[in-house]
Amino acid sequence: MVEPAVLSVDGLTTEFRIAGKWHAAVRDIGFELARNETLALVGESGCGKSITALSIMGLIPKAAGRVAKGRILFEGRNLPELADDEMRKIRGDRIAMIFQEPMTSLNPVLTIGFQVAEVLRYHRDLGPGEARAQALDILDQVKIPSARDRLDDYPHQFSGGMRQRVMIAMALACQPRVLLADEPTTALDVTIQAQVLVLLAELKQRYGMSMIFISHNLGVVATIADRVAVMYAGEIVEIAPVGELFDRPTHPYTEALLRSIPRVDRTSDALVAIPGQVPPISRMPQGCRYAPRCGLKQPICERAGPPLEPVPGSGATHRARCWVRAGGTGAAA
Amino acid sequence: MTAVAQSPDAAPPPRSAFLQLVRAFNANKTSWVGLATMAIVLLVAIFAPLLATHDPVEQNILDKLKGPSAEYILGTDSFGRDIWSRVVYGARISLWIGTVSILIAMVVGSVIGMIAGYFGGKLDILVMQAMDVLLSFPSLILGLMVVAMMGPSIGNLIFAIALTAIPPFARIARAPTVSVKERDYIEACRALGYSHPRILTVHILPNIFPEILVMGSLWLATAIRVEASLSFIGLGVRPPTPTWGSMIREGFENILDTAWLSLVPSVAILIVVFALNMIGDGLRDVVDPKLKGERGG
Repeated sequence: MVEPAVLSVDGLTTEFRIAGKWHAAVRDIGFELARNETLALVGESGCGKSITALSIMGLIPKAAGRVAKGRILFEGRNLPELADDEMRKIRGDRIAMIFQEPMTSLNPVLTIGFQVAEVLRYHRDLGPGEARAQALDILDQVKIPSARDRLDDYPHQFSGGMRQRVMIAMALACQPRVLLADEPTTALDVTIQAQVLVLLAELKQRYGMSMIFISHNLGVVATIADRVAVMYAGEIVEIAPVGELFDRPTHPYTEALLRSIPRVDRTSDALVAIPGQVPPISRMPQGCRYAPRCGLKQPICERAGPPLEPVPGSGATHRARCWVRAGGTGAAA
Repeated sequence: MTAVAQSPDAAPPPRSAFLQLVRAFNANKTSWVGLATMAIVLLVAIFAPLLATHDPVEQNILDKLKGPSAEYILGTDSFGRDIWSRVVYGARISLWIGTVSILIAMVVGSVIGMIAGYFGGKLDILVMQAMDVLLSFPSLILGLMVVAMMGPSIGNLIFAIALTAIPPFARIARAPTVSVKERDYIEACRALGYSHPRILTVHILPNIFPEILVMGSLWLATAIRVEASLSFIGLGVRPPTPTWGSMIREGFENILDTAWLSLVPSVAILIVVFALNMIGDGLRDVVDPKLKGERGG
């Protein structure tokens, strides 16, 4: 890992205004994304996965939200500091994003061919003919069957899986260096999910692209990710290479999350659920955010939030935000 | 048991605007009648020099107030001018003023409405309040004020009618913009880095254009009525240029003896307004979700 990171996020805090007061939706997020690496962000709904992605894209709605602190370094520039029109040149060109809902993410009144070609016309200044030819090429690459005949079809003539392929084609049209995939397979059938995941991995390899893969499906993450960052209540609570995380889950939340996956190879009557709820954004506990639901809670956990520290016994690549299991501050059993 | 369940997304109606239009027109046959009528009126206006039997402004005092005859198909007015020729040429003026003013109102109103709806916030409130103020005047009164201040001429008439028609277009453009801008595909456009003008014109406009078009056909009828009304009270195009409104006014003086002087241009206005409303009804079926699915079953 001598190569510098493609994207590095440091101390990112994004806040939203609720009833006139600013509350942090994500706090002190930090990670580095190497070339050709896939980093998975996992966590339950509302833990800040998507907010992290939108912050990187500069798509936090200005009326209600802001990136309050932190740096997002990409190609030598700090993204939150860029002017709108500079950020527009990066979005869709150097950093692209695909969304969860393929059914509604394409404009219903424009043809597939037009929408894919438009990306190239906009970012690459291509003429209509050239853009159309390249659009056809990229649609072939995402394996749309007989793409040539389907250029002039409208989105409603495509199935969900095919539409997600079109979305991927649009995102990859300009060969971005970073792809943010926000639950790209959640809305698809399981068989289609697998196809799309294989396709993403293949294209990532071909373009030498880095990917941030957002999901709440740990099974999907295990197949596609190189590293995993587990998020809880707006913070990264554990980050580790994918094998290490599944072998040695360190943070109690990661542990509980892995326990709650239904397994086909074990007989069990009930799913294991994590008791309690995620605290609301406006009433975060003072100490560790997971403490109210944690079985290993110590007095210190309720007094101060733990830092993200290396886990004892593994290299610096495995870090967790826990007083008890990482950091080695006295309380360790 | 082997029947394959149709997936819920399998059969939304074709979104090609043109196909939708044809389908709606077929469901509502009277709109084809309206369209055909307007096509004939348009042809009459275009080929007015060929269809007119006399110069529309040439006076022939000896033949004044004649009834319909072989030489004067629809008779003559109090200056001995041929009424058929004047009605035919009048179609040009009426359609021209109506169309141009509505096109201006359509463009300006849509731009205002879309910008207000898209950016929202204080701008939206301010602009739409201003539109509401304009809208509170009946279009005839507002047109009257403008022409009275600026003097009667074709240009001022177009300006006055356009001004009265801008607020409804702003409203009709704003409402769907507000809902469309929240859709996932507009969010996806932002993620692709598209600029605001591009999102508005390429991605939002095609989605809301049918609504604007319906409004256009209905307001074209209104524009022609307002033009006729202003001409009738003498604030329209200056004589002797023939317009339907001024012809009704001139005929009005002799209405008890020679009713056809007013009747002929009145019928012309009636036909055009009727035809435009029939077209508008057909178009509305395309965009009114309440009517969708009820017809053509």
